[in-house]
Amino acid sequence: MAGTGDRVTGSGPVIEARDVVKRYETEAETILALAGVSVAVEPGEFVAVMGPSGSGKSTLLNVLGLLDEPTEGAVYLDGEDTSTLTERQRTLARKRTIGFIFQNFYLIPTLSARENVEIPRLLDHDQGSAERAAELLTRVGLGDRLDHTPGELSGGQKQRVAIARSLVNDPRVLLADEPTGNLDRETGRSVLGQFQEICNEGVAVIAVTHDLQVTDHADRTITLVDGRLSSDEPRVVSTGTAGEPDGTTPNGDDATDHAG
Amino acid sequence: MPDSGRSPLGRLWRRFPVLLIARRNLTRTRARSVLAMLGIVIGVIAIAALGVFGATLQASITGSIGDIGNQVVVSPATDEGVEYLTERDVREIARVSGDAAVVPVRQNVTTVAVRGETARVTVYGMASPGDAYEATSGRIPDTLRSGCLVGADLAERLDIETGDSILVGGQTYRVNAILESQQQFSIIDPGSAVVLPPRDVPGEGYSQVVVTAESGQAANDSAVAIREALNDREERVSIFELGDIVAQIGEAFSAVNLFLVGIGSISLLVAGVSILNVMLMSTIERREEIGVLRAVGYQRLDVLRIMLAEALLLGAIGGAIGTVLSLLGGVLINQLLLGDPMAAFTPTNLGYVFTALGFGVATSLVSGLYPAWKAANERPVDALRK
Repeated sequence: MAGTGDRVTGSGPVIEARDVVKRYETEAETILALAGVSVAVEPGEFVAVMGPSGSGKSTLLNVLGLLDEPTEGAVYLDGEDTSTLTERQRTLARKRTIGFIFQNFYLIPTLSARENVEIPRLLDHDQGSAERAAELLTRVGLGDRLDHTPGELSGGQKQRVAIARSLVNDPRVLLADEPTGNLDRETGRSVLGQFQEICNEGVAVIAVTHDLQVTDHADRTITLVDGRLSSDEPRVVSTGTAGEPDGTTPNGDDATDHAG
Repeated sequence: MPDSGRSPLGRLWRRFPVLLIARRNLTRTRARSVLAMLGIVIGVIAIAALGVFGATLQASITGSIGDIGNQVVVSPATDEGVEYLTERDVREIARVSGDAAVVPVRQNVTTVAVRGETARVTVYGMASPGDAYEATSGRIPDTLRSGCLVGADLAERLDIETGDSILVGGQTYRVNAILESQQQFSIIDPGSAVVLPPRDVPGEGYSQVVVTAESGQAANDSAVAIREALNDREERVSIFELGDIVAQIGEAFSAVNLFLVGIGSISLLVAGVSILNVMLMSTIERREEIGVLRAVGYQRLDVLRIMLAEALLLGAIGGAIGTVLSLLGGVLINQLLLGDPMAAFTPTNLGYVFTALGFGVATSLVSGLYPAWKAANERPVDALRK
């Protein structure tokens, strides 16, 4: 895991948010979820996004994952502006480029582990997808659980199935929302180990989290407060050091412009 | 049973992954799916069974009439003041009817007494009843000159046997034979009547002439010929063709059938509402899962297809079960009414059954449309919001 940050050079960010503003209009008020955030993530980079509840972390993840559209600003995939894409093209871009991991795993309870991993490719009539699913499950240590349904798996195993699912389309970016939120510490550590392995293959991982353990494994941690970046410092990967205290803003600096 | 790619069924699911997902979803809430399916089963049976039942009843009734579609009954045109048919009319009818058996009948009502019991009965005067009727016991003479014939129903009621002497209208007659009742619908049914030689029945001329031809077509030809010969200058006779009645009854039954099937479709409508309900609940419960599918790259159309596949499975399986049960019911009804179980598989019946199946599947699909559309159009970010 050491040195993943400097292994990737020169190719430019795989995913980038530029001056992203997200406002939600409700009848009573306008909520500013993101107040101009710029983030760029290089291939193979593991970025943790921290911040108190309501700071806009999940909104940022949704916008980066093309699940939500920014009110202002844009998200760039491989340097390409995604704001002009149609719904259909956005869906296709998600399928090709982005893998998702959720706190609640969101596996389909009626499908086996293997079928859950296959899900993103299930409609493609791809003969190799069953094999690939088995391969990925073996890689995350579930080679003997291929035909188990999610009900027969533990939380950590479910999250590993979800990781395998997120990798089935060879994504370039992995977006994880509280990936360790429902796991005990030990299981969380093994999941984070998986993330680092994935990064070593050049996949960027962005994890929104409350868990300091995640920041320990991340190449860098960015903190969101009230929809603004409060720090975006490169981290020297080390073990045993606690990350930034959750929710504090050490200095008043605003969103760091990371574009370019 | 695991859906490995090796079994034929497994290959089918592999081939249509949408169906695989849909089928697994249905098994998740098994009871609910079965109940929704039951609605379709009942709806399909309602349409198919009512249709088949009606068609079978129609076949049963027109079948019994159909046998005597070859009879033509000629009566005096009473509206024109013709009271009876003369010997000359009968000769004319016999002349134009070719090979058909012509039995002139004089009809009246009289009292029959036997061993102290009396009854008011219809009495027919026929010269040669053997041309048109059969005996269950005794022998019908070629020409009835003396003695009488008693219908089977009357014979049973008054306990009369061949060889008995009975009092008809005050005169004593020996019973030559017992006449078989007409199984089929007929204007003249000697089953509960007494047949005497024509001259013994009071009255003038004949009240009817029964013409029995070889076939329905021949009967029709005779009717046309009789009409031309006797009604040429003035309306002398009215002609009653059973073939016409058969056609009319057939039409009436078709209308009744359509009405029954219409009632049956109401149950299918109810089944449709139940599927709508099940699917809507399913989309609400699986909101996040559908959101995940959208997130990992399923297009809106893919979600629509999955949901519609669920509705289709409900409809197709329910419809198939309903179809099988309907055919079994049809076989049973046909066995009971027509004595021929295979008569269930007439084109008309199969038409009803497969129409019902089609309506069942279509109802499911239409009912699934709204929930599917709703599921497909939800933004994944909304579906996944905690």
